[in-house]
Amino acid sequence: MPQLRVERTGDQADRQAHSAGPHDHDFSRIFGIETEYGVSVTGTDKPCDAGQVAMMMFQPVISRARSTNTYLANGSRLYLDVGSHPEYATAESRTPMGALAQDAAGERVMAKLALEAQERLRESHGPDAAVHVFKNNVDSSGHTFGCHENYLVRRAVSLKTIERELIPFLVTRPLFTGAGRQTPDGFEITQRADFLDDAVSSATTRSRPMVNTRDEPHADPDKFRRLHVIVGDSNRSQVATWMKLATTHLVLCVIEEHQRTGGISPFACCALADPGEAIRAVSRDVTGRARLRLADDVPVEHERTALDIQRAYLNAAQRFVAAHAQGMDAILPDAAQVLELWEHALEAIAAGNWEELSDWVDWAAKLRLFNAMRRRHPDLDPARLAQMDLEYHDVANGRLFDSLAAHHAMRSLLSPDAVRTAMHEPPVDTRAALRGAFVAKALSTGAQWSCDWTHVTVMLPERADCELLDPFSPEPTDAWRRAMDLLG
Amino acid sequence: MPQQHEQRSAEQQAAEQGNENARVQSNVDAQVDDLDALLDDIESTLETNAEEYVNRFVQKGGE
Repeated sequence: MPQLRVERTGDQADRQAHSAGPHDHDFSRIFGIETEYGVSVTGTDKPCDAGQVAMMMFQPVISRARSTNTYLANGSRLYLDVGSHPEYATAESRTPMGALAQDAAGERVMAKLALEAQERLRESHGPDAAVHVFKNNVDSSGHTFGCHENYLVRRAVSLKTIERELIPFLVTRPLFTGAGRQTPDGFEITQRADFLDDAVSSATTRSRPMVNTRDEPHADPDKFRRLHVIVGDSNRSQVATWMKLATTHLVLCVIEEHQRTGGISPFACCALADPGEAIRAVSRDVTGRARLRLADDVPVEHERTALDIQRAYLNAAQRFVAAHAQGMDAILPDAAQVLELWEHALEAIAAGNWEELSDWVDWAAKLRLFNAMRRRHPDLDPARLAQMDLEYHDVANGRLFDSLAAHHAMRSLLSPDAVRTAMHEPPVDTRAALRGAFVAKALSTGAQWSCDWTHVTVMLPERADCELLDPFSPEPTDAWRRAMDLLG
Repeated sequence: MPQQHEQRSAEQQAAEQGNENARVQSNVDAQVDDLDALLDDIESTLETNAEEYVNRFVQKGGE
């Protein structure tokens, strides 16, 4: 992807707000995944709770940063969130694959912190102490926590449009993005269905909307908004994570294009009467045939199945990819493979063959295992299923997911080397490159520094603040060079 | 793709279907064998006290 060099001097913010950017009207996107992890500890000979363990995990972070919030040399953010959730937010990426690599790196960063804490914990709490870090969305008491996706969207797409045109896709995509959950009342294909209320909201912790519209785009607010998708599950499967981002990206491309060209939206036939009710219906049905109530102003039809709705989105995505064949690689690499997997997923579910998806769809992998375990042990203790359900998501001490991979029952997209690289190297084609280089240098020289998504700041010996407003640009600016020099 | 199917004779199609069935069957058998091995692996590594493992995981809600 050719990078357009834009020389920035003087007052960046003013110039950027009024100058045209290369991505104002195309389909380029910035992707990010923020994952809240759950923590537990077992096998201790003295009492110990999640809060204490999370603080132990973050001890090295606190020593270094004097805070439970820091940024890493790969450009990502690592912090301890509300309710003692370690959280990892990936550095900005231009592609779903780039975001996947960063997300996989996040799993390893968490695992490393957990295992180091475990070593220290064993000195005081016995040799069997084990720290578990869960990349999932529900604990054993029904408390929920999230995996939030971030997509940079052109500002011209209104919130109303997002609600009508994106929500039906988000409600039905669990057919292949759901992580699955065994409950006493049966198997659900998505973890988050029971915990979401309004479709779109500006509130954060009070109610849980599916899509959040807080507007801190970490970019030029006149041009972009940051779509914060809250309804997704945390995925272990790399293919599922990649598909979740790639398919949502294609849908956003169609929505953006339609907004520019006008006419009847290809998704007008899918608007839902009650998204919360719909996602609960989708979640309880592995056949995709649950009938979902459509909004009153949808012509003709009153209901549609989840499969039908997904097909409408797939068809629109196929048309988009065909129409943009020439430039598709720049919009979404491997688009053809995304479409193929998407189509196969819907066909398999329609035919009742969801087991075919067990090598990349998290809920299918789990359900296949649970069913097999129940066949092997007809009197299986429900606690065992609950245990397997959780262990699947333990990135520190869980062996279940790794066993799937070892038995070639779970696909991967990234080599271990690619993941290791992503733990230390930021994406080269976004603003993360500048942040990552700054953090790496600051850590090596021991300078006093801070940063956030849109600034890097040197504190001593001289304070220099550098604003980085364009997430698409990895190009050094004068202010950035000055800050780098001052780091020593 | 549908057009290509129609051009082949019914006989050919039946033969192909038979071969395909055999292939699918052998895949399924291989999967079943491996599923057993996979379950063995999983069972050997699960912590013995399932209830304790599950009940120890309690957190306040996040965002």
